[in-house]
Amino acid sequence: MKDRISIVVMVDAVGALSDRTLHNGNLSLVDDSSGSKHQGTPDLITTVIPGQVVQWTPIHIDVQTPVEIYSIEFLPGAPAAPPAGPSPAAPPPVDAMGSNGTENHDLLVWEGVVPYDMTPGVPYRYRLSLKLHEGPNSVLHVDSPALMRV
Amino acid sequence: MAQQHGIIVLFDVENALRTRSLAGNTYWFDNMKLFGSTGEGTEHLVTIVPGTHFMDGSQATEQVLNWLPAALGAIPPTVPRNYLAEQERADDRRTLDQLASLNADGGVSDTDLKRLQKRVGKRARKPAGGRGLTAAKLLDVTGKTTSSAGAYNYPAPVITDITGPAVTEKIMYPAQYGSPDMIYDGWYWAATVDTSRPGEYPYTMHVQLHELIEQNDEMIWESVDLTCESTLKITTDPKRNGFTGAGLGLLPLPAVPATG
Repeated sequence: MKDRISIVVMVDAVGALSDRTLHNGNLSLVDDSSGSKHQGTPDLITTVIPGQVVQWTPIHIDVQTPVEIYSIEFLPGAPAAPPAGPSPAAPPPVDAMGSNGTENHDLLVWEGVVPYDMTPGVPYRYRLSLKLHEGPNSVLHVDSPALMRV
Repeated sequence: MAQQHGIIVLFDVENALRTRSLAGNTYWFDNMKLFGSTGEGTEHLVTIVPGTHFMDGSQATEQVLNWLPAALGAIPPTVPRNYLAEQERADDRRTLDQLASLNADGGVSDTDLKRLQKRVGKRARKPAGGRGLTAAKLLDVTGKTTSSAGAYNYPAPVITDITGPAVTEKIMYPAQYGSPDMIYDGWYWAATVDTSRPGEYPYTMHVQLHELIEQNDEMIWESVDLTCESTLKITTDPKRNGFTGAGLGLLPLPAVPATG
């Protein structure tokens, strides 16, 4: 078993901003896990094993365009029964503020350990949000990639 | 992954040659305003370099600067660099063709001669023993022969060195690199930055401009060396985990994953 799985997020920032989408070939996801599906597409399903560290790294085609991962959120399904009591609040987004008062998502390292209670054989889809430069239209996302325990 | 920094330095060549100074004649522009650069479009640009480090203090992000010189009133930098050379050759060929096709039997008219003489144009030589520009015909910005001193095209400014506190204090390591991109004559200046010591560090850019002067009945491109200044502002912040805000933890998977 590999200790680490790398998922490389390749982005054509200018294409994505002018298309206002990460589809149309503006985003390509590739990992180094064996048995993953849809390599090179936004629909990548990465096979993982509990205990492995998964790390996401953005790479931009145009070296002078700012492209960072804004957030990675795993999408929950409908709960089988309504939870008793107040539902647990979503964790606050991690602060990406730099010491000079401007946000810099390059400060965030996107990696985590695959938990042992993950259900095998089921894709856990996640929302991958990317921030391209700044401004109201700078954050784009896809809901299609997933991790799957083998 | 952190982006590379582009820094455009736009020169008002004509005014700089007249005043023999780059003060008030440079316009600096970078792509780091979103991280806190100030003074874009002025000669007081402060370029932010947002460094990052790991918890053990080691530098986490390589920061790269690229300088892109440009001249007001010159041929746009996107036009191939051999444009003027090509135009010069084509113009000479046309002039020779027309000379050959003159019908000498009926006598050559003064008008024809004057027109062709004008087409031959003037050539600027390089200064004796000097380095720099090769001898070339004087062309205006559209590549046409010109004899008007006000219409000829200034050669692009050339960065000859980058010095100053940012260099002597080993904050940045500038160098000139060969480039397949002929836009900048196949050369460009770039630097990597040590972001471990935050602060403001000025630097001096040495620039060579070229002035056309008449000397002993010859036109000569004389080089004029000037300097201008800008500043780097280095910051550095610790990297942290995007999921936890601190160190490595479990991926925040939902109890039930979304279907579909």
